[in-house]
Amino acid sequence: MSAAVQGLRMTTLRLSKEADEPAEATAPGGDEALLARRALAGDRAAWDALVARHHRRVVVSLLARGVRVDRAQELAQETWARLIQQQQRGLLTELRLPNLALTQAAFLAADDARRARRESVASAVDELPERHHPVDPAVSAERRLLSEEQLSRAHAALAQISPSARNVFLLACDGQELPHAEVASRVGLSVQRVRQILCEVRKKLRTALEEETHA
Amino acid sequence: MLKPHLTRDAAEQYILGALAPEKAASLEAHTLECEPCARLLQEEALLSEQLHEVASTVPRDAHVLRPARWDTRRMGLGTAGAALATAASLAFVLLSGERPPPASSPLPLEMAPPTVALEKLEMEVAEPRAVVVACPDLATQASCTQAAEERGLLVQYPWGTGEVPRYEARTGLPEGALSARRPVSL
Repeated sequence: MSAAVQGLRMTTLRLSKEADEPAEATAPGGDEALLARRALAGDRAAWDALVARHHRRVVVSLLARGVRVDRAQELAQETWARLIQQQQRGLLTELRLPNLALTQAAFLAADDARRARRESVASAVDELPERHHPVDPAVSAERRLLSEEQLSRAHAALAQISPSARNVFLLACDGQELPHAEVASRVGLSVQRVRQILCEVRKKLRTALEEETHA
Repeated sequence: MLKPHLTRDAAEQYILGALAPEKAASLEAHTLECEPCARLLQEEALLSEQLHEVASTVPRDAHVLRPARWDTRRMGLGTAGAALATAASLAFVLLSGERPPPASSPLPLEMAPPTVALEKLEMEVAEPRAVVVACPDLATQASCTQAAEERGLLVQYPWGTGEVPRYEARTGLPEGALSARRPVSL
């Protein structure tokens, strides 16, 4: 338990510094595989860089499961604490992020929802946790997966946008969790322009996905 | 007093991490009090997760970065290569005379890149220098020699060691074998 608390404190410290030192976490030399190896060896700086890179994705995945934003932040912190604890116990032999963190966060969210439901079983209907959790994380896991038709529609919409915009989208969303500044430096655009492109692509893909839903 | 509701753009900016820390904190505080705004934020987060899924299923070759003019340059190179190959094959046909290429070594002009074709072309252009022509008789020797030298060919004079070709050479077939009028036993 002390190890988890220690890891949690370290993660919290790093997140508070994130806004002041974004360059450290987004350094081009911070190769993901190298960072993972160093983190598995217990390197705190590597853990800090990995947490800074993937924390937002973990929070967003929890929000997508219907977890309240404050609880999502707490669960994301707990996710990293659990992973660091596992590493310190020598139980973590491989570190593939963000997938491992997303899975851990989903497990914690489901466990949290079950515990809340169990505690409120004798309460009035209006006080059931579903009132505060618009979607049950355990139930929404299957609902979140896109159908083949949705994917093909999204791919078709993606094929219609300009190659440069598609490149920006793929760099930002293909799982590497590159910061927008890194994406901007790779494609030779400003960070503002990269975000503008991402918003435009999101609108097009949202339309494509909703068309299928309404059909 | 409840703060103004979220706009979709604001929720999108929050999901992308583009909001200033103060605005992000204000947005988070609002979604804790307002269920419709919490649902809007959840929709944007869900879309973000779906977009990650879409990006992860895009074929990898779409990630290849190419300069904007790469295709144009490649098309130009292809056209130039095809033109060179055509010119090389035409020159080969014109310069190689009536000698057919050996059956065991097919011409590489159809298959090889233009640079290889050019090398072959140079080899084939140089090859006629080894061709020996024989002037048939003394009456036409002067003009025959001059014409051959102008073409860079070697001349075998009638009084040389080589045998003067005879136009009335025998085929070795029985007389009348090439006639189509009646069958002839060989």
